[in-house]
Amino acid sequence: MRVSLNWLRDFVEVTKDIDTLTDTFTLHSMEVASTEKLIDASDLVIGHVRACEPHPDADKLLVCDVDVGQETLTIVCGAPNVAAGQHVIVALEGATLAGGLRIQKTTIRGVESRGMICSLSELGLPMKYHQETGIHVIDDEVRVGEDAREVLGLNDDVIVLDLTPNRMDLLSMHGVAYDVAAMFDTKLTIAEPKVTYDKHTNPMTITSDTDACKAYYGSVIENITIKPSPSWLKARLIAAGIRPINNVVDITNYVMLETGQPLHAFDFDLLNSEIIVVREARQGETFTTLDDKVRTLDAGDVLITDGTRPIALGGVMGGADTEVHAKTTRILLESAAFSPLHVRRTASRLDVRSESSMRFEKGIDIAKLRFALDRASELLIELAGATVRKDVVYVDRLDTSEQTIELPLSTLDKVLGIRLSQARVEDVLRRLRFRYTIKNDVVVITKPTRRPDFENHQDIIEEIGRIHGYASVPETLPRTVSVGELTDKQRFRRAVRETLLGLGLHEAKTYSLRPRETVQRFAVDKKTPVTVKHPMSERRAALRLSPLGGLMEAASYNVARGQSSVHLFEVGHVYAPTGEEEKLAGLMHGVYRPRHWQTTTALNFYTLKAVLETLFKRFGVSVQYTPATLEHYHPHQAAVLDVAGTRLGHLAKVHPAHAAAHDLSDVYAFELDLDVLYDAREPSLRYQPVDRFPAIERDIAIVVDRLVLAGEVINAIADTGIGALRTVNVFDVYEGTPLDDDKKSLGIRMVFKDPEGTLQAEHVDRRVNSVIEHLRTVFDATLR
Amino acid sequence: MDIQSTIKKLERELNEALVSVDKIEALQDVKAAFVGKKSELSGLMRHMKDIPNEEKPAFGQTINAAKQRFNTMIESRKKAIQAKRLARKLEQEKIDVTLPAPDFTRGAQHVLTRITESLEDLFIGMGYLVKEGPEIETDELNFEKLNLPKDHPARDMQDSFYISDETLLRTHTSPVQVRTMLEYGGTKPVKIICPGTVYRRDDDDATHSHQFMQVEGLVVDKDTTLSDLKGTLLALARHLFGEDRKIRLRPSYFPFTEPSFEVDVTCAGCDGAGCATCKQTGYIEILGAGMVHNNVLEAAGYDSTQYQGFAFGVGVERLAMLKYGIDDIRHFYTNDVRFLSQFKGELS
Repeated sequence: MRVSLNWLRDFVEVTKDIDTLTDTFTLHSMEVASTEKLIDASDLVIGHVRACEPHPDADKLLVCDVDVGQETLTIVCGAPNVAAGQHVIVALEGATLAGGLRIQKTTIRGVESRGMICSLSELGLPMKYHQETGIHVIDDEVRVGEDAREVLGLNDDVIVLDLTPNRMDLLSMHGVAYDVAAMFDTKLTIAEPKVTYDKHTNPMTITSDTDACKAYYGSVIENITIKPSPSWLKARLIAAGIRPINNVVDITNYVMLETGQPLHAFDFDLLNSEIIVVREARQGETFTTLDDKVRTLDAGDVLITDGTRPIALGGVMGGADTEVHAKTTRILLESAAFSPLHVRRTASRLDVRSESSMRFEKGIDIAKLRFALDRASELLIELAGATVRKDVVYVDRLDTSEQTIELPLSTLDKVLGIRLSQARVEDVLRRLRFRYTIKNDVVVITKPTRRPDFENHQDIIEEIGRIHGYASVPETLPRTVSVGELTDKQRFRRAVRETLLGLGLHEAKTYSLRPRETVQRFAVDKKTPVTVKHPMSERRAALRLSPLGGLMEAASYNVARGQSSVHLFEVGHVYAPTGEEEKLAGLMHGVYRPRHWQTTTALNFYTLKAVLETLFKRFGVSVQYTPATLEHYHPHQAAVLDVAGTRLGHLAKVHPAHAAAHDLSDVYAFELDLDVLYDAREPSLRYQPVDRFPAIERDIAIVVDRLVLAGEVINAIADTGIGALRTVNVFDVYEGTPLDDDKKSLGIRMVFKDPEGTLQAEHVDRRVNSVIEHLRTVFDATLR
Repeated sequence: MDIQSTIKKLERELNEALVSVDKIEALQDVKAAFVGKKSELSGLMRHMKDIPNEEKPAFGQTINAAKQRFNTMIESRKKAIQAKRLARKLEQEKIDVTLPAPDFTRGAQHVLTRITESLEDLFIGMGYLVKEGPEIETDELNFEKLNLPKDHPARDMQDSFYISDETLLRTHTSPVQVRTMLEYGGTKPVKIICPGTVYRRDDDDATHSHQFMQVEGLVVDKDTTLSDLKGTLLALARHLFGEDRKIRLRPSYFPFTEPSFEVDVTCAGCDGAGCATCKQTGYIEILGAGMVHNNVLEAAGYDSTQYQGFAFGVGVERLAMLKYGIDDIRHFYTNDVRFLSQFKGELS
């Protein structure tokens, strides 16, 4: 809402400067988005063009004698519309215009020019408000030499309020005036309109068939002369951000801005009858609105009809057929109450958000219907020479019974956490102009019609609180005593992150919404993606099935910017139709450690496996790796991970084709189900006594078929069930001469320990032999 | 020649021998020559029989003492040789301590996680629990139970991504508050914070993101007041922006709270005096808050004549941007390593 201070002063005493107003609004009413001067120009006076002759030395220039009161100035003017006899705006020597332009005495092609005849654009009024290309010619009665800004109503300041949806009352100058009066405890001066009616009766009959329009007032106004509005009125509309059109349209807008009640004017002579029927539209019915668009309607849209055809879409937009035009002399002026819900549905479905629909959507002051009609009539009489038929015809089923809201003073104190005296509460209520009584420490407030947003005592607490001010509320802490702690799962998640950070992976965050066609990419379980109904773009149309798509993009982004080593992980949700899962995913690209003069920096499948194994050991989880063929991944460097028979996730090299598509080389990626890992973790720590007896290590080298997996060999050794065998590890892998092409050698280290005593070497050797025997049986292994 | 002068002569000779010896092996020869069985010193013992009985003990002692002294001299030389040898060896092991170490780069926690966890820790310290919930929510929990019935004009304020008619990507973490209240069944106080990812239909630009993180807080009890809200938010502001910060409440509107506020913190750049960062106002808006609307309490099973409470919600990206002077919200989701790796030290 753009609030003109000139206009505001019509209704309330404004004693403070604009900065104080702004600060006070901010702390007690509504956020001020900005403040502006209506025009940023000085030293403007009304001038009268006495004479206007062609410039002797320039075709397109005119030399004007302009009377500015004290003297007559010679001014060279380039505007083709300047003419003798006009009243114009003159910027005197020393004047400043929009954009900081300074006016100085100057000689133009040999003619001295002392000042400038101004267009509205030069004053800083955008074209959209006046559409004048030449100088501004003043139609009003004015006196030469007067301050043009004052005469034209342009010496105005505008406060732009950033309204929240609950404060529809501030969508009117009256409402703003009420708030200013309350904040500054100053006088309200809103006058009742005075209409002198003529003796002709109003011929209209009005009915409403729908509860979406419970009240409809219609006045018939005649003898109208359509012409431009006076400058002061135009200036106020412009200050409010509305383009002046003609006096009738302007007055309806003006009164809407003043009272918050939207009005609509029909050309009375274009109506097919003298009846108005308000009804709900039939499904599929069509109607041409005044922007000449044919609208297809839904049941539930509210139509104003003249009994034969629709003439307006109630509360949203008038019809093209009955629009006021330059030759209109008689109008039917409508002031009605349309239901917020209906207007909101219609306006949002048809995507027409007008000043009118906005106000209906948020709820109007039902006490202002007649007031607004009268105020418009008053102005039409004054500014359009109109006469008003004596009866206002209406239908009105609005519930005007008074509603009260009770607020115990103890509740007020209990919510605000301060002690407000009854005198202070009454002072605030008086300033707010609420009607109230206080009995037994309970305030009973009559709900003001200008605040349809009030529902219960919380609204009253809010009003008292904001006018009293929140600065005096002390800062305390809740007295609720409780234990604050993370859940096991939350601690686990933090430990997961911490572990991966320690291993050199950065934590990333990527978007959940992804392109529909790539959303399954890198996800091993290709579920049907969840899509949003009305995506903002194709890039953000479906919910991810894996964080890896986003992480691949991030890797690509970094590599393209010279960051070739990218190690990232993300903890986040993925979304399947069956529900959300929390995933831990990551990838590595480039070298694991930056190049160093001494150590190696290689990065391969086992680097990332080591990272994961560190993580798994952190939680005491033992994971099985099974070779797998996974779409989007390297066919021979991919594993699925299981823990105790439950699928945990996968670890694989990204298929070179997909890596290349992202301008990446070797990329290794993993994805784990965080809940599976959480469930698999060692639930509680159990202490094991430290071994008192030495361990014995034995290394063997066996030759097996090349296709035998190391994991199978390790498992087979474990399967022998030798009690003292504590760990089995593959420490060497060799292929090549002198081995056959289809063979490989595995170096295996076994560690034996007995908690009860020192192992004898011969016992260990016997067990090693039984292992070798077992491997011979299972894998046809030979000792190398 | 008496024994004393013989020993003196031997000692002189030993000294000379030791000085010229610089290898442990050669030292062994010297040792054999001076204190060994075949040494001249040992040979002196043979004269024992020529000594009168009463002088025998003194004679033996003199020789033994000399042997001991000689051994000490040899031993000391041995240590010196060893020390020298060690020093030589160590010299060969000389390294350039200024050469760079291999880089065991530690990863950096995402700045949004960092701030979220920091807030979690602050509130855990004040007795809050951390509650989480799904990101795909029902219209009922995301809106209707929060005093936002269908067609409520305030739904414009957070235009949302619908999945179906009844489900959507949550526009705030408030549904977690509703879930918690429903879980508690209206019978016990609530003191929680709800961190999480939320979504709104905003075109991504420097200050808008269709996906962002929130931390919301909710306290419901029989005596939870606006002053408690103010004190809690002051603690939050000071935790993030410094001990000297002050806050102020401005009237605002959220359907789920009444009264509702925007909360400003005094600008850390100018301490409230006004500067470019705070657009000369001295304050920076950091979050929204209010007293829980009775309709919300009732919809979640709390008797609004018995219980009251406060709620607040803060955008984590915004906090991070203010705290670290980050100029573009898209940085948080681009994952440029040069951005990510900066957030390593302690949160200060």
